[in-house]
Amino acid sequence: MQQIAGALQPATGGREGFLRALGARLADMNLAVTAILLTWFTLVIVPIVVLFAFSFFSTVQFRTVYEPTLDTWIGLFSSGRWEVTLRTLRIALTVTVIELLIAFPFALWLAKGCRSGTGRAVCLAMLTIPFFLDMSSRTIIWRAILGQSGLINTMLLGAGVVDTPVEWLLYSEVAVHFGMIVSLFPPMVMPIYLAINLIDDTLLEASNDLGASPWQTLSRVIIPLSLPGVIAGVVFCLGPALAAWVEPGMLGGGFVNLISNSIESAYSALRYPVVAALSAFVIVLLLALLGGMFLIARRFGDPSSSLSAIRG
Amino acid sequence: MKSQHSPNLRQISSKLEPSYAPIWKQLGKWGGFAMLALIYFPLVWLILLSISQNPLGGIPGAFSLEHYRALFSNSAWHKPMLASLVIGVAVGLICAVAATIIGRALPKLNSPGRVLFMFVVPLFVPGMSMGAALFIMARAVLNLKLGFWSVALGHFVWAFPFALLIILVVTIRFDHRLVEAGRDLGASNWRVFWDIEFPILMPGIVSAALFGFLMSFNEVMRSIFLRGTVETMPVWSWIQAAAQQSQVPIIFSLASLVLLITLPLLCGVFWLLFARVGRS
Repeated sequence: MQQIAGALQPATGGREGFLRALGARLADMNLAVTAILLTWFTLVIVPIVVLFAFSFFSTVQFRTVYEPTLDTWIGLFSSGRWEVTLRTLRIALTVTVIELLIAFPFALWLAKGCRSGTGRAVCLAMLTIPFFLDMSSRTIIWRAILGQSGLINTMLLGAGVVDTPVEWLLYSEVAVHFGMIVSLFPPMVMPIYLAINLIDDTLLEASNDLGASPWQTLSRVIIPLSLPGVIAGVVFCLGPALAAWVEPGMLGGGFVNLISNSIESAYSALRYPVVAALSAFVIVLLLALLGGMFLIARRFGDPSSSLSAIRG
Repeated sequence: MKSQHSPNLRQISSKLEPSYAPIWKQLGKWGGFAMLALIYFPLVWLILLSISQNPLGGIPGAFSLEHYRALFSNSAWHKPMLASLVIGVAVGLICAVAATIIGRALPKLNSPGRVLFMFVVPLFVPGMSMGAALFIMARAVLNLKLGFWSVALGHFVWAFPFALLIILVVTIRFDHRLVEAGRDLGASNWRVFWDIEFPILMPGIVSAALFGFLMSFNEVMRSIFLRGTVETMPVWSWIQAAAQQSQVPIIFSLASLVLLITLPLLCGVFWLLFARVGRS
């Protein structure tokens, strides 16, 4: 890909003719498109397939044994990891539900209630910017806010609400939930906003003219039509929540063990099949939860319309 | 569009009133604002603490620049910083070029949806799983020595879908009659691209490069798996923060500096992408 990058640089110096000839050949781009597609396939699809394959190998004395076996998968669930899995699931689902409850009304307001174009643009920009900021420095600062001598406790003590610093604010499940809810809010809002924004205003007017109450408009028009966005939002929230690693590490203080911590410890113990199995398990879990949601969503509308873009 | 049907129907505007009571609308609005405040407040707090004498105390006060001085007299972060910058620039450039090529070709394909889906798969795979998948592929299957190249590849896989989606914003709107007009007037393919298409796609290409750079510069989870023994900036901060509490003030200063450089850059990108492109 670097060669292509070089070829597309503006022609400089005496080799202009050569570069232009190369550029002309690349201008119809079929070659380049195929090359990038193939590169992408080997970089993304193949590793994921290999990941699943690797989870069926096992480790004996720090060496990977390349014989298909279910030992790794059986070991996953017999060694007390059920607890970790259930905790991860519980936290991820709680976070997703809370996000949905806050994000949907906000997205609705942003798409249909907000009258000022500038206000909307600013909100959207503010929702997008966090994608590009460093997670660890954004999360580590919560230690200084939630800690024993932090902002919250200082305020509570100053106001005389409590006599001793509140300890469960940091290094607890509450803190992990909190950190995840804050950092996963934008990925939940954006797709829902995009879906609601696509609903034509005339549909809402028609619903109103036909005598529907606002609640009926919401439940029979807006929610079914925004389902694709809701499902996309849940994917973008649930996936990172299932594999959350920064928040439990920084705010859990070693007390909140999630699947990601198991992956990390297996990684440092060189048990690659276990790493593969756990990572694959996260993907499978995400797919299973999505499948379940898809079935539930079918009762409200046509969720498969979210796939229409993919069918092309 | 006022309701004329029956008097007991509440009057609602042509725009939507989400429920009977305006309080729901207010709740939705202020709930979202509260979340935005929770996202941005820590950033302000981070900068305030970084210029305090005792950042670990939790409350800003007794402002001083001593931690910035300590930061600049400490050279341990130079190498990871340089590594992050080089990887970021490389990823940004490759993302911009590759995304431009795919972004131009995609709208002309027979089934663009399927190809697009393949390119955005990494958005749906948790970072940890993707990092582990690439790690096992490179280390256990191909038995390669990990280093900056594998970190860069991991970042590319993460940043490319975003770059592609950004480029698509401009390529989908591109008017192909301009290209036909250029051809009719006898311009070569290259001239058409360079003189007509490229200037119009420019804001998208620049944004894609910048986003690619920033995604790479701030990425932790995939780097942890793919780094081998090398360190990028976020990984260095992470290790320091986890190992020694005494290093945290320096990390606060460093993170503040990065933030103060990153935020204006991002605002610029948004202005370029939406304000300028939107007008034209």
